[in-house]
Amino acid sequence: MSAPFAVSECRVCGYVAYPPRILCPVCAASDWKRRLTENGIVTELTVRRPVSKRRQLPSGNWLDQEETRLAAVQSDAGVRIVARVPAGVEIGDRVKLTQMASTAIALPGQVVEARPAGDGGSAAAAGGGDGAAAGDGAAADPIVAPLSDYPGRTAS
Amino acid sequence: MAEQHTRARIVGAGETPYQRHPSTERRTETFIAEAVVAALGDAGIARDEVDGFGVASFSLGPDHAIDLTWKLGMTIRWVMEDTNGGASGINMLQHAIRAIEAGDAETIVLAAGDRMEKREFHLMTDRYNRVARDYMAPLPLNGPNALFAFLTERYGRQHGLEREDFACVPLAQRDWATRNPGAVYRAPMALQDYLDSVPIAPPLTRYDCVPIVSGGDAIVVTTEERAAKLNRPSVGVRAIRSLFNDDHQDGDGVNTGFAKLRDGLWDAAGVRPEDVDAAFIYDDYPVMVLVQLGDLGLIPAMDVKRYLHKTLLEDRFPVNTSGGQLSAGQAGAAGGLHGLVEAVRQLRGEAGERQVDGAELALATGYGMVLYTHGSSHNAAILERVA
Ligand SMILES: [Zn+2]
Repeated sequence: MSAPFAVSECRVCGYVAYPPRILCPVCAASDWKRRLTENGIVTELTVRRPVSKRRQLPSGNWLDQEETRLAAVQSDAGVRIVARVPAGVEIGDRVKLTQMASTAIALPGQVVEARPAGDGGSAAAAGGGDGAAAGDGAAADPIVAPLSDYPGRTAS
Repeated sequence: MAEQHTRARIVGAGETPYQRHPSTERRTETFIAEAVVAALGDAGIARDEVDGFGVASFSLGPDHAIDLTWKLGMTIRWVMEDTNGGASGINMLQHAIRAIEAGDAETIVLAAGDRMEKREFHLMTDRYNRVARDYMAPLPLNGPNALFAFLTERYGRQHGLEREDFACVPLAQRDWATRNPGAVYRAPMALQDYLDSVPIAPPLTRYDCVPIVSGGDAIVVTTEERAAKLNRPSVGVRAIRSLFNDDHQDGDGVNTGFAKLRDGLWDAAGVRPEDVDAAFIYDDYPVMVLVQLGDLGLIPAMDVKRYLHKTLLEDRFPVNTSGGQLSAGQAGAAGGLHGLVEAVRQLRGEAGERQVDGAELALATGYGMVLYTHGSSHNAAILERVA
């Protein structure tokens, strides 16, 4: 169901990317490694109104009839993450980031959940849409394969 | 460092009336085609004089610009299709001006439009880009409202603003809309109406979010020489600047690329922010109107609160005099041309009941294309009346 949350880090200059990029915006390298990012701070928060009619979109994603609590989280790695949060989490809270399976089968999609840091991470606390059971916990690896022969790469 | 002012003119503007629930036979191409015909009629230019065509739309597919060229019976030597949403109108204008200056085309029609209802809107956001599909929709985000709730919260914190302050943007624009028969929201709105409106993604409520409509917009751009023969006021473009992906989504989304293009824009135009008689600011959300006005230098000393209550609400400085997208409606990609169409009407003195006296110089902006947390695309044009 869930996996540790990871971002991409440039092996050359250390730039942190999420979602992943192809070339590093700072040094133009294409050599990325996976970096686990456990925690962050909630900087903004909202509760998105439900849609009136639940339906599935062509991509496989669902428009949700549940209202969803969403937050902007400043991760310890530095990059800002958009995450789903359970009730009880407020602005300023320190949270643990977890990568959930997409709600749609056969999609590379990923959902970030931010639960109170130190929380054991029970599934109940995660709330989550009813479609969350579809799909396996092994969400797509966000790392992009290196473009080893990219000619524009510059050292910096 | 001032450059030559551009040597092309906008000589016509047209809008297909915005509709909430169009009948089924009115397709995206219908809305765009009607706007093209209206803009050419306004310009007094025959279809067969057109030799360039540019279009922006989220829902024209599987057709493209060339299919529409054929269906409109045009033979052209310059074609363009723009996918940059709220920044598409000014982007197309920037390209069209250069094409006309270079002689690649003489008379270009730029159009945008969408048939857009709830279903089409969700389809659009679902296929907006890979990140929207793979990272946002599964949350489920259900469109961009939550992201702009974050930006509103953040901007409010930076400038000490509450809902009563943000309210000034939709309230002032609604007041303009009461004098625009083409706006879908025309009923006068009071502060209490705004405060009582349905929460969408707090702090955003219904009146912070654009009503989704179907419609189309178009403008006609031609050479100075051709414009002079039309014997009517036209609109010149003193300067135009764009900036894309300047912060790689690492910024806070409320201090934007507009601040980086600002000096180049005003220097090239040879005027200052305080010279502007009216502003047409891409208004997907009230917070973005403030962000753009501030970053482009129109809010003195960045006293946002005073600007909101005094300049916008009390003095009625003309911003988005059609009511903007917040009151007139957002017809998909036509939102990127809506402000230009209204700017042309104002500068030519043809805005009817809502005409701004002595409108000579205007600012128009485009903004959009959220890549992850906020918009990536910024552009702005300084427009002037040419008698
Ligand atoms: Zn790098």
